[in-house]
Amino acid sequence: MMGNPIYKRETMVSARSFRLALILLVFNSILALVALLNMYSALVQIRITAEIQYTSFLDLYMFVAVLEFVMLVFIMPALTADSISGERERQTLDLMLATKMTPVQIVTGKLMASLSTMMLLIISSFPILALVFVYGGVTLRDIGTLLICYGVAALFVGSLGICCSAIFKKSTFSTVVAYSLMGVVVIGTYVINQFAVFLSRMPGGSYAVSAMAGAGEGSSGGFLYLLLLNPTTTFVMTILRLTGQEWSGNGITQWFGFHSENIISRNWVAFSVIIQILMAVIMIRIAVHAVMPGYNNRLRKSNLCMLKERREK
Amino acid sequence: MLKIRNLRKKFGNYHALDGLDMEIGGGALYGFVGPNGAGKTTTIKIMAGLLHPDEGAVEIDRIDALAYPAQLKEKIGYVPDYFGVYDNLKVGEYMEFFASCYGMEGLVARKRVQMLLAQAGLEDKADFYVDGLSRGMKQKLCLARALIHDPDLLVMDEPTAGMDPRTRLEFRETIRELNEQGKTILISSHLLSDLAELCTDVGIIDGGKMLLTGNVEEIIEKIHTSKPLIITVQENLPLAMKVLKEHPLVRSITVKDQEIMVQFMGSNKQEGYLLTELIQAGVLVRGFVREPGNLEAVFMQLTSRDKERVVLSYDGESDL
Repeated sequence: MMGNPIYKRETMVSARSFRLALILLVFNSILALVALLNMYSALVQIRITAEIQYTSFLDLYMFVAVLEFVMLVFIMPALTADSISGERERQTLDLMLATKMTPVQIVTGKLMASLSTMMLLIISSFPILALVFVYGGVTLRDIGTLLICYGVAALFVGSLGICCSAIFKKSTFSTVVAYSLMGVVVIGTYVINQFAVFLSRMPGGSYAVSAMAGAGEGSSGGFLYLLLLNPTTTFVMTILRLTGQEWSGNGITQWFGFHSENIISRNWVAFSVIIQILMAVIMIRIAVHAVMPGYNNRLRKSNLCMLKERREK
Repeated sequence: MLKIRNLRKKFGNYHALDGLDMEIGGGALYGFVGPNGAGKTTTIKIMAGLLHPDEGAVEIDRIDALAYPAQLKEKIGYVPDYFGVYDNLKVGEYMEFFASCYGMEGLVARKRVQMLLAQAGLEDKADFYVDGLSRGMKQKLCLARALIHDPDLLVMDEPTAGMDPRTRLEFRETIRELNEQGKTILISSHLLSDLAELCTDVGIIDGGKMLLTGNVEEIIEKIHTSKPLIITVQENLPLAMKVLKEHPLVRSITVKDQEIMVQFMGSNKQEGYLLTELIQAGVLVRGFVREPGNLEAVFMQLTSRDKERVVLSYDGESDL
């Protein structure tokens, strides 16, 4: 990857750009502010009650981790959704395709450059996450799992952005589509499940949901497995593991009705990580196909219109 | 160097290329001319591996360009009709980036970049941002970029468009130098005047078909003989007609008052002999002239929409 010319160029340009410095500053400032305020409120509570609530420090960790995840999921499409379409707009994509660079190198170079920026954000936030070590309760393994979760989410959302960027000609449109699709994956899958739960709790509704997804009464049934695509669910399950609420209790059952445990539910994080990586690979393949010379039908149509106009002139 | 056979490309129902044939010899400076929408850019994009044809074959240096695109890309340098620059890169970085796209790294790339920037007259601009360069400089930079991997064939799509006359002259000089160094060069333009003096060979394309191709001098000679001789006779018109009708190189004769328009197939020397014959026969000739042929005129005729075509062979009969 280090030998990929696009990766090298992108990292060099972003390293000296004001934009990256600004993103780092804003990202870490928000995290630090929230973490320090949370910590301060915990300390004030100790002074008032003379009792140390160790769970409040665990809550601090969860709070910071959630905030970081939300910001990552929102920043990643912005980093990737204009990557290929931006090259098209600058008219540099054809120049690269005319060299020995392959579409695979172009797409992976772009994606890896965005992931590197993301990793920089994550690593730069370590001191804030490490605040929790002052009081303990979180192990290095937990932090490692969280990092893997962040990495997979960034890969999944980044691939979605790259895929939109490769398919659509204009960066603005590609960004809008990327955020919309992300909304469908993150919020849409959740809404579908909630709707299924709501429907199954209505008189006779459970029959409809049961017919569609084999659900029991008051449960979202098979629709639950749509959440395997949702990086937020993977993240929440990772965080819940810390507090031992992974499946039952305050976990899935509370939100989407009773679901009996099975191999998927027992290994939800592993399954969702595998599925999201597979989806990322598929989206990268689509992006590579869209970058290949002569793929884009809309470009061909616009060429056709241009030629006709010239002819008429 | 380059052979194109029966190249076809459709965009929807529009035939951008309709059975294009083309051949360019090694070391040629080939002018690829046609009106807007004739199919020049489509042909060039197919040559550069940026478009797939629906039908046909492209062979560059005996390599099937469509079957072996990676080998094609080593042979060809592509200069499009736009700049395609990164405004956040410096000139040197821009060149090194494209060097790395061809697998050149480190000192080798740096030396090649320095050499090309010096050749393009941009050596003192290596640390300038590309965005700050003038139009002419950007075009020179694009040319230098296309030469980064030392290709045998350089393909340029309307490279002088938008250049001021001075920059255009300098650019032509650079192209001539590259050609003298042994590079085969194809330049497309919709203005034949841009290429007529520069190129050794020319191809005129319209409607996705090659209308005329060949050596510039040969074409001009053909065009010259296609122009009618205009003979103005003061006395003895019937005698002049008799001489002309009996001449083996005369294909057709049209008379209007004292003016005779003759389709004469001979060279300049044979024109002289014809004039002598007329005078010796007792014809008093007041005027004897043939309009000089030029590529611009033939281009206009070949690419005109009313389908009036210049006649390059004479099978017609006399108007008399």
